[in-house]
Amino acid sequence: MGLKIAIAGCGKIADAHVEEIRKNHTVKLVAVCDLEPIMAEQLAVRYAIPRWYNDVAAMLEAEQPDVLHITTPPQSHLALTRQAVAAGCHVFLEKPVALRHKDAEAIIAEVVSAGKKLAVNYWPNFEAPSLELRRMFQSGVLGDPVHVESFYGYNLAGEYGTALKRDPDHWVHRMPGKLFQNVLDHVLNKITPFLTDDEPLIEATAYCGEASAANAGAPLLDELRVIIRGSRTSAYATFSSHARPVGHTLRVYGTRNTAHVDYAARTLVLERNQTFPSAVGRLFPPFLVAKDYLRQGLKNVNRFRHARFHFFDGMRQLLSEFYSSIENDSAPPIAYEEILRVSAMMERIFEQVYPEAFV
Amino acid sequence: MKILVTGAGGFLGTHVVERLLAHGYTDIRCFLRERSKAEPLIKLANAYPAASVELSFGNLKSKTDCRRAVENVSAVFHLAAGLKGSAAELFADSVVVSRNLLDALAAHGQEQLKATRVVLISSFGVYGVASLGQGALVDEQTPLERHPEWRDPYSHSKLRQEQLFWEYQKQAGFELVVLRPGVIYGPGGGAFSNRVGLKIGPVFFHLGGSNLLPLAYVVNCAEAIVVAGLHADSAGQAYNVHDDELPTAAQYLRAYKRDVKRIRSLRIPYFVTRLLAGRLESYHRKSEGQLPAIITRYKAAAAWGGNRFSNAKLHSLGWRPIVAAPDAMARTCAYLREHSE
Repeated sequence: MGLKIAIAGCGKIADAHVEEIRKNHTVKLVAVCDLEPIMAEQLAVRYAIPRWYNDVAAMLEAEQPDVLHITTPPQSHLALTRQAVAAGCHVFLEKPVALRHKDAEAIIAEVVSAGKKLAVNYWPNFEAPSLELRRMFQSGVLGDPVHVESFYGYNLAGEYGTALKRDPDHWVHRMPGKLFQNVLDHVLNKITPFLTDDEPLIEATAYCGEASAANAGAPLLDELRVIIRGSRTSAYATFSSHARPVGHTLRVYGTRNTAHVDYAARTLVLERNQTFPSAVGRLFPPFLVAKDYLRQGLKNVNRFRHARFHFFDGMRQLLSEFYSSIENDSAPPIAYEEILRVSAMMERIFEQVYPEAFV
Repeated sequence: MKILVTGAGGFLGTHVVERLLAHGYTDIRCFLRERSKAEPLIKLANAYPAASVELSFGNLKSKTDCRRAVENVSAVFHLAAGLKGSAAELFADSVVVSRNLLDALAAHGQEQLKATRVVLISSFGVYGVASLGQGALVDEQTPLERHPEWRDPYSHSKLRQEQLFWEYQKQAGFELVVLRPGVIYGPGGGAFSNRVGLKIGPVFFHLGGSNLLPLAYVVNCAEAIVVAGLHADSAGQAYNVHDDELPTAAQYLRAYKRDVKRIRSLRIPYFVTRLLAGRLESYHRKSEGQLPAIITRYKAAAAWGGNRFSNAKLHSLGWRPIVAAPDAMARTCAYLREHSE
């Protein structure tokens, strides 16, 4: 039998973990755990998982898993990581990594000192267009990065958003960066690979997009704009709850070409320099971009045909790389420095947006 | 007698409070999560000045709020439940909160607990109808679902919730009455139950055909909850709740098109639904979930297999619908017409 996997935390996101773990046929999901036994039971029953627990120590002792997926709110990530590595587990962590940057550092330190491996669920970065962008960048197609724009739309009217707004005690409201902290990893982790600076200049501003976004008396900030300036590359990070359609995009302006990734449509198109002059030159770009979109569309059809077009396909890929890194004792799929840079940037943003949380 | 109504601000909750007041109960604690839903209850309180209608705000996920909710009550009408969202959210909103509430009740002294009447609003979804033949009668003797994980998460969570209440009742000995409403409808409610069909994109796929719809008009349902909930002979019993004159899914859809608004619908015969469900199920399995198995043969049999229904047990307690079916339908259509945009 391959790796034995267990999950701690049986909320909504645990469904995605179960489904993506199961697509990897060399590993086995042996047990799930939640402090709330009803939640552990429902996940185990729905997915016919052999055993469930409401005590993570008991699960780790009885099941001896190789990997623990931690899908609890971030308040418990550090403590659970410590328990996991002490029990000899590698850790796959749901984002956000931790409440505070120092906790993220402690998590990585715990894992490294125990000789274990860790990955964070940065799944959009492992979707096919993201991987293609990475290859493009590494092979020099884009040239040097000049500017990056990362946009993340959020639907507060959706089920999760509605639950957040209804429940002032929701764990998301108890994080220093509140709503933003729950998703900002996905905005910033697309920018950091193009920034070489450890501490770029960061200016952040946030506001409440409309009165109806207020939750139980306390205004919920739901629009965030961040300007980031490194020594050679700048970036804009945008989080918006009100822009429609709810988009998820990345634009990388390079010294040679500009790439545009649409994570919702799963496309990557390249905007190239014009080589023909004047009015004739202006005729070509729309056709070139259209050709790119057509090619991307056909690739997606092909992925669909081969059942590689699931919503969380990036997570499947990331898990596959993570499990391989454990089995082959190779580098994990996400560099720890990358995780820490994202975490550090997030904290600097929250210090500006919610200064009271850092007094 | 102080009566607690959880979910009092909801579609059904307000009507239950109104029926309790109309039946002469004068000490009611309305427990609700959102202050924005308090207005109808305030109106009720004003309409019954001699009664004490206490509004208590909180979240049953909080054990402290649960303890506060059950303080000094001798009857509990538990209506609060998750209606939509992921399976995890439904279990958290229906089952976990129920367990919290039951734990808070269990903290009462044994003597007080035995004298407490607990009324749970369950659902028709708890019945294991998928294996019944077409036209089989669904009454309180129908076996409960044996494979809730094969059904929709709502039915699964409601079954687990009901099981939890029976488990606690056995241990704690309080008086438990379970009401299992069919499709609750009326002003303030939705237009279509899945039993009629599913709207996918711009088209409404009419899947219910000539099946009977177990409709329960919200006022009649609230009346049933109050009558059965506090009846001297109902402890330890479960009751189906639906109106007397039930339309078919096709009749309901026709009335909607005639009295609310025109919609594009496509009638799919049951055998075609089963066939498509089988294909989707098989593709879902083969593709490891690339398309969600929103319809499986099991789900199709449960929703559109076609059953008959009985509310005779409820009638035996003396319940009678307050609003006759044609009037109920007319009021619902008028509301839906007004809110159709």
